Formats: sequence, C-alpha cells, structure tokens
Amino acid sequence: MTTTSPGPAGALGEAGPHRRTPADRDAALRARRITARVVVGVLLAAYALVSAYPFLWMVSAAFKNQVEVVRGGHLIPHQPTLHTLTHTWSQLHFLRYFVNSVEVTAMTVVLTLAVYAAAGYAFAVLDFPGRKALQRLFVALLFVPGVTVMLPIVLVEDKLHLLGTHIGLVLPFVNGGAPLSILLMTGAFTAVPRELRESARVDGANEFHIFTRIYLPLTRPALITVALLTAIPTWNEYLLSRVSLNSPNTFTLPLGLQTLASENVPHYNELMAGALIVVVPVLLLFVALQRYFVNGLVGAVKG
Amino acid sequence: MTTTPRTATTAVAGRPGTGRPAAQPATRTARRRGHEALSGYLFVAPAVVLFAVMGLYTVGYGLVLSFAQWNGFAPNWDWVGLQNYKDLLWANPEYAPEVRDAALHTLWVMIAVPLLTVAVSFPLAVLLNSARRMQPLLRSIYFVPYVTSGIAVFFAWQYILQPDGAINVLLKSVGLGSLSQPQGWLGNPHTALPTMIAVTVWGAVPVGMLMYLTGLQSVDRSVLEAAQLDGAGWWRTNASVVWPLVRPITSIVVLLNLRDSLQGFQTFLVMTNGGPGNHTNVLGLEAYRLAFLKQLAPTLGLASALGWLLFAAALVLALINLRVLRSRT
Repeated sequence: MTTTSPGPAGALGEAGPHRRTPADRDAALRARRITARVVVGVLLAAYALVSAYPFLWMVSAAFKNQVEVVRGGHLIPHQPTLHTLTHTWSQLHFLRYFVNSVEVTAMTVVLTLAVYAAAGYAFAVLDFPGRKALQRLFVALLFVPGVTVMLPIVLVEDKLHLLGTHIGLVLPFVNGGAPLSILLMTGAFTAVPRELRESARVDGANEFHIFTRIYLPLTRPALITVALLTAIPTWNEYLLSRVSLNSPNTFTLPLGLQTLASENVPHYNELMAGALIVVVPVLLLFVALQRYFVNGLVGAVKG
Repeated sequence: MTTTPRTATTAVAGRPGTGRPAAQPATRTARRRGHEALSGYLFVAPAVVLFAVMGLYTVGYGLVLSFAQWNGFAPNWDWVGLQNYKDLLWANPEYAPEVRDAALHTLWVMIAVPLLTVAVSFPLAVLLNSARRMQPLLRSIYFVPYVTSGIAVFFAWQYILQPDGAINVLLKSVGLGSLSQPQGWLGNPHTALPTMIAVTVWGAVPVGMLMYLTGLQSVDRSVLEAAQLDGAGWWRTNASVVWPLVRPITSIVVLLNLRDSLQGFQTFLVMTNGGPGNHTNVLGLEAYRLAFLKQLAPTLGLASALGWLLFAAALVLALINLRVLRSRT
C-alpha cells in the first residue's frame, strides 16, 4: 500500500509542478494548494475524532472513580485511578471470562484456518466434478441471515448435547465464516504459480505435502487476514453466546460485560472498565497485524 | 488438521514441463484426473461436513419448524401449515401490528444506513487517498469502530448518549444546548431511531471506506489526467469521473448494508432493546424476541417464519442489486 499511485486527489494541485508560469501565478497556486491541504487535514482529523469518540470516553470512564463518573464532565479524569480496572478484573470474574474468550476464539481461528485453507486449496488448485457448484454454494451462504439460523442452531445443538459448551459456539462460528474464508483463501492460492506445484509433483511430493510445504507458506498474509477476520468477530460475539451459554463459568467476555450492565443502575466506570478489558486485546491484535489485514482485505475486494 | 489425503500423485507424474493433460497418454491422464478429483473431495470434505450439519440441517430444521407451532418444551409440534406466515403478516392481532411497526422501523434503517454510509465513506476515501503521509495511521483509527464493534462499544455509546452523557455536554459547550436531549438520545422516542441509525452508520463506514479506497487506488491515473486536461476541477473530476468508475463498489457497499439493516439487531438489543415503547423495534429483534424471550408461549414457529421472511427479502434484494450492477457495467 505504500507504493500507491497518487490517485484522484492529485487533482488538488490542478496543473503539474513542472509547468513554468509567472511568479505571482505560481504563488497563488501554491497558496491554494496549501489551503486545500489544510482543509483536507482538518476534515480527516475530524472524522478520526468521530471514529474514536466512544472509545475515548470508554478509556476516560475506566480511570474514574464512582463519584467522578456520576458527575460526568471532563474527558480527562481529575483523579485518575486504577482501582476501577483492578476491581472489575478481580472481583467480577473477568479472568474467567477472559480465559473462556481466548479459548473460544483460538479454537475458532485454528479450525477455520484448517478447514477453509484445505477447501480453498481444492477450489483453487484441484480439478474435480462439482467444484464450481460447491464453490457457489459456499458463497451463497453469505446470504443466510444469522437470525434465521440462530434458533435452529440452538435446537439442533440441544439434541446433539452441545448446548452450553464452547464447542457448541465454535462449530457455528466456523461455519459462519465459511464464505469469506473460502473466498480469501481461494484467491490467494490461485495467485500461486502453477509451475511450483508441477515441479513438486515431479520431485515426488504428494498433494498434502504440496499444500502444507509450498502453498501454505506462500500465502501467509492471506492466512493472517483470515485469522484476524475470524478472531475479531468471534472475540466480540454476543448473541449466540447469550442464548446458548447458561453457566457463568462458561461465559465469554461480552457476556461477563452484560452482567455488569444488567444491574439496575449500571456503574458506568465499572462497565467501561469491563468494556476496555474486552476491547484492548483485539485492538492490540489488530494494530500488530493491521499491515497484513488491510492488504489482505484489499486483495479480497479486488479479487 | 483434519485432512490427510494420502493420494500419492507420484505415479502419474509425467515428463518435466509437460504440465496439463492432453500431451500425456490417455490412460495416465485419466488416472491422474481420478487422483486429483479424489484429493479434491478429501480437501473439501471437512468444510462440507460442517456445512451439512451446521448449515443445511439447521436451516432445513428451521424451515420445517416455521410450519409448526411449538414452545420448545412440549413433546410434539402442532402442524399449522402457512398459519405462522399469515399470523405475522396480517392475521394475528397480537403480533401483526407489532411486526408492521418493526417493518416500518426496519425500512427506515434500510433506507438511511446504506445512503449515509456511502455518503460518508466515499468522500472520506477520496480525502484519505490524498493524504499520503498520514494514511496508514488514519486508516487504522478509522478502523477502530470495526475492530471494537460489539457489545463493549455499544455500551460506550449508551454511556455517552445518556442524559448527562458526553454528547449532551458537548452540545452545551459549543452553544447548541437547545439540541441536547434531557431524557437522553435513546430515551426520547423521536431521536431514538435516528440515533441508532447514526451508530449503525458509524460502525459501517470503516469497511465501506476501505472498499472505496481500494477502488480509488486502482483507478487509472491517465483517465484522471485526461479529465484535468479537459479542464475539470477537483469536484468535477470526483463527481463525474471517479464516482461512476467506483459504481460497482457502491453497489457492493449498498448491498452489504441493506442486508445488515434488514437482519441485524445486535446494536438494538444491547442499546435500546426496542425501546422507548417499541420505537426502535426492528424485524431482527422481533424474531429474536419471539424465539428466545417468550418463555412458554408457542412462538418458536412464528420466530422461524419471520426469519424465513427476512431471508427471502434478503435474496430479493441481492437479485435486484445484481440486476442493477449488471445493467450498468
């Protein structure tokens, strides 16, 4: 993304920089260009503020004590305190919820990568009857609405004795991620030169070896993108967890957070501290991997 | 890893560089094809099995259930045929009016959210595309709503929208106190739905912006230069040249947001639970309530039927969108 073409906004400068013009016209042009830049900068900064606004207040409240949060007012706490965060973490079972969330998210990501990298490989590289039809079926899944399948999932899992377990969350999550994961992986595998596969075959490698030793290492950015695109919604998932988990021991972070909100008068400092605990890990993950993420997404949109 | 296909392809390896079939003897080609097909099935097997149980089976189960009356506890289903669909659409005086209200709210969301998302994300992408140096940082900040989307950030919104919350304080401090909402933005029946729309748009902009950004960066530079040579300014170039070029992206953004507006309800469940007085009840939330909050009332079939109506509506939208997209390109 760093080598992007200047794009349409190069138009801001009107005439190119190389054109020789009288000095006063040059100066006027430069002034206009600077004004345009300032306007663009202000607008971009303004939307950055809009984007981050609720998050800023979340952080603010998490460092306030009960008295100050009720008074409202300033974004910067007058007497910043860590007590709210530590209290929320230790008194309210957040460690338990945190471990559960990590478990559910990790299982979902690993299974998603395993199942859909293999499927993507088959769709991109292998030729078999029914391939196109199957591929279309998976993409069509994109249109099956969550609310339509939620109730049957709960009823079916009840039959299979999966209700209330973490596996019972992981399986529908993995299945729900199928369209996008398959789309991304198929795209990435298609871009790998076929000659690599042919020469590996000649050297006696079987299909599984070609897949794990050649294709997977070469498509690491796509794998990371799929992992992030799976991890973020799974970490934040709330609805299916809410209707399928019933014991606080199995609660994930969003459900733990819900218990804070359902008190008669929510203590907003504790609620926001809890929200911060939910948000920070996934935010850190995003910041660490965002380079791959955006490029991978861009690749998906182009593909 | 669940697949370990042991189909050795060594037996069929032809001469180096032979590549695709045709050049090989017919029997070898056939055998190689057979192996490849088998490997193909083995590689997709886990995905297919999972889909069969979690997708096809559950969806089929839901469809069957939509023709029955059941409370989730009774041993048997009562078959009612199409009655659930009729009840939802007009027949049942208890549910039909509620569904109609929810449909109206959903319609507002479906009109406003895609429009506003496009109206914010396209200009934002154009501006961001011109900010060369700050682009990576800004792009990350703009993505915060996507990364944090979920219950945590909805509670944060609730917090700043409450009567003495940050939004009201902000309005008063810039002299717009008359606009502040003493019952909170979600407590006033007139502002609740527009506020929910704003929050939804806020969450939808990151993906829209990124899609437009991608589109902008693949626009041919020479086309823009030609426009400028013809005397088109910045506005004109973007409005008459760039905007038509990214129309396929607009179509995707609109479709995704239409679908989410039609079926999504998590924000509504967490932030308003349909209130005040059902003023922010939407169809997805109504289906959820029928499915999970009616306790012993036999509404599971109704919930399923409503889910299927939403599904059908989404399909129709997708087809229309496809038509429009095709006729324009």
